[in-house]
Amino acid sequence: MPDLPGSGQRNDPAGPSRKPPIPPANWGLAFDLGLRLGVAVIMGVGLGALVDNWLHTSPIFILIGTGLGFGAAMYTIWEVAREGMR
Amino acid sequence: MVHVEIAAERLFSLGPLIVTNSMVGALLASAILLLAGSWFARHASVVPTRAGSLMELPIEFLAGIVRGTGGRRWREFAPLIFAIFLFVLVANWLSLLPGVGTIGLAEEIDGKQIIVPFVRAGAADLNFTLGLALISFVSFIAFGLRANGVRGYLKELLIAEPAYMTPLLTPIHLISEFSRLISLSMRLFGNVFAGEVLLATMLALTTATLFMLPLAFVIPGVFIVLELLFGLVQALVFALLSMTYITLAIAEHRQHAHADHPGEAPGQAATPIEGAA
Repeated sequence: MPDLPGSGQRNDPAGPSRKPPIPPANWGLAFDLGLRLGVAVIMGVGLGALVDNWLHTSPIFILIGTGLGFGAAMYTIWEVAREGMR
Repeated sequence: MVHVEIAAERLFSLGPLIVTNSMVGALLASAILLLAGSWFARHASVVPTRAGSLMELPIEFLAGIVRGTGGRRWREFAPLIFAIFLFVLVANWLSLLPGVGTIGLAEEIDGKQIIVPFVRAGAADLNFTLGLALISFVSFIAFGLRANGVRGYLKELLIAEPAYMTPLLTPIHLISEFSRLISLSMRLFGNVFAGEVLLATMLALTTATLFMLPLAFVIPGVFIVLELLFGLVQALVFALLSMTYITLAIAEHRQHAHADHPGEAPGQAATPIEGAA
């Protein structure tokens, strides 16, 4: 197999930096991103509510959890963007 | 009356094991894949037959994607990605066969007579999708551990840069990691279950009156074709996401290796591909 991307790039005159315009694996990331943003926020709120319920500290941890959930959602965007720019 | 149960229905028990109709669907999909795989292994030839080409088609399609985007170590995880793709695809398409979800035992629940189907789409049960998502989750953690080592992986997961940001960033990182598991399972379950509900609703609407009855031969058919497409897309998305997560786990290792040895080209830090032609 002379033209194996990832292994036979020495045969590619354009060098290893050449990429297809839309890598098909990124379709999956595009499908994933929207849902993961919501899931991250819901997980943060849910974990906060659980801890509040356990320690009877409502609404401290639910607020912290909401912030962490939003943070995790932003982190997910950054992670995907970093992968896209690589 | 439209009746679609969100939980899989119990058929019978084998000791402590409760056998549900979605388990039957998943086992049928496994049996079909095993039979097709063993037939293909016995009849494999350099010049494939027509049936052999049909079997090779999805594999070649996915192999092209995995080879192109899976990095240098794509051969290590390609079988897992193929297995996930084919299993989800067969399980999704199996649910569109006549009799699946429609033939079953009549039972009376809350004064209403409903049919408990013998076979239900595997992915229309959260247990099935969560199980597959767990396999994917454990796999990308295992590949991450293998690439980074236990210490490197835990450092990557739990310690932020700069270190004083660790108390804030570690919970964020953990939530982001676990959100993969939930989003993988919920997406597949939601799409397949919604498809089941849609088909049942369309069938119920078109068979509600005698006037609408001729449409019962057309409208559900249109949605079945759409479900064929959605089944393929969801199988592809699940497999590609599993591959992306594994590739990311391995790529982080390459980045760190390159940072530790700046004179070395990024590609040289990774293990060379085994058996590449």
